[in-house]
Amino acid sequence: FSKRGFIVRSFGTGTHVKLPGPAPDKPNVYDFKTTYDQMYNDLLRKDKELYTQNGILHMLDRNKRIKPRPERFQNCKDVFDLILTCEERVYDQVVEDLNSREQETCQPVHVINVDIQDNHEEATLGAFLICELCQCIQHTEDMENEIDELLQEFEEKSGRTFLHTVCFY
Amino acid sequence: TQEEGSGTDSMTTSERVVDLLNQAALISNDSKITILKQVQELIINKDPTLLDNFLDEIIAFQADKSIEVRKFVIGFIEEAVRTAWLLHPGAPGCNLPSHCVDSSAACWAAGASPDRLPLRLQEIIAFQADKSIEVRKFVIGFIEEACWLLHPGAPGCNLPSHCVDSLPTGCSSWERSHPTPCARLSPAKGKGSMEASCAVPGLLASPPGGPRASLARQRPMFMAEVIQAYETLHANLPPTLAKSQVSSVRKNLKLHLLSVLKHPSSFEFQAQITTLLVDLGTQQAEIARSMPNLKEARKRPR
Repeated sequence: FSKRGFIVRSFGTGTHVKLPGPAPDKPNVYDFKTTYDQMYNDLLRKDKELYTQNGILHMLDRNKRIKPRPERFQNCKDVFDLILTCEERVYDQVVEDLNSREQETCQPVHVINVDIQDNHEEATLGAFLICELCQCIQHTEDMENEIDELLQEFEEKSGRTFLHTVCFY
Repeated sequence: TQEEGSGTDSMTTSERVVDLLNQAALISNDSKITILKQVQELIINKDPTLLDNFLDEIIAFQADKSIEVRKFVIGFIEEAVRTAWLLHPGAPGCNLPSHCVDSSAACWAAGASPDRLPLRLQEIIAFQADKSIEVRKFVIGFIEEACWLLHPGAPGCNLPSHCVDSLPTGCSSWERSHPTPCARLSPAKGKGSMEASCAVPGLLASPPGGPRASLARQRPMFMAEVIQAYETLHANLPPTLAKSQVSSVRKNLKLHLLSVLKHPSSFEFQAQITTLLVDLGTQQAEIARSMPNLKEARKRPR
């Protein structure tokens, strides 16, 4: 997204940061204060081979070059034009949080969910889809009035269904 | 220019504007902007009825050599559009540029006289059928602010700061001295046009939901009307909506209803809200989590 000229930030919405562990019921759980570097070193110490093979170390290495630590959406009071989520549960959390805030400026923010499975292949494909969507939104003359139609076009093209709402800051 | 005015004051303002415009035409330094700003203040804020008379004269400054003067003219036109919109209702099909409707302070200014407020409310509410999402969003926000202002709050319900900021000074006294606007204004006012509000694109059903939910929480006296509005919306979703748009709207309704349910004053309406939530596919466990504490609700003074 950054390479294509968007001002973009990424967030988590859960209470903790969870990374895959040695088994599905044994995730590695960190709080949001933990830096990517600390997570990297922790996993390197725990099982270098496993976390290299499943790409987690590679991902953390990339992340730490972008920012020091993960951020939690609910703790961020910055204003955005568009919020994209990749899972319905996260979309619910984002909308609930935005609706629970006291409205101050009434500036609208569009929240769009595109379901993307949490694996490398789907994430790559999903990133291209979302990026294309953002570029199309950017080129609309009147975003507020055209976004519905645009989303419908993308739904047909991608075969996915989107959730969409507008919240206000 | 033949000036018409109902009293000496408007004649004086009109003459003052003529004088200032003449001065502005003759000088070429920075004070031209200062003079034009005075003209704007007199026309837009003091006597907007002069707008028709002097618009052409001000637009003529668009040919000025100074960029700052030309910028001023653009700003003036924007203000003029906003003012004209408030002065001349009856064109709901017209799309007002979003930057012209982003401040409800202008609306309050237009209705600042308590005698004019009921008229202004009707005009502004009529714009809820407008094609533009910006205009409808603005109208809903305005109704919300007006409800907050004109009706007393329950204990612990504070006016949100964005409402306080945009309301005119001293207007809290209207509540006592001008019952008419209070009686005319309720969430039901906008309810009839709610379907029209969401009839164009699907997502538009969602923006009215938020203010209604917060209104129900802040002014529990409207709880019944707000819930009825949700029921109406739920039963009358426009058939033109695509499947995913229906999902988005239903999800929004569900979120807003859950937030209303959490409020202790929802106690009397729990059956209605629960039925709606079940219709919207909410799990019983999720409903149970949002139920207010009954003991606390009963302790609360009515």
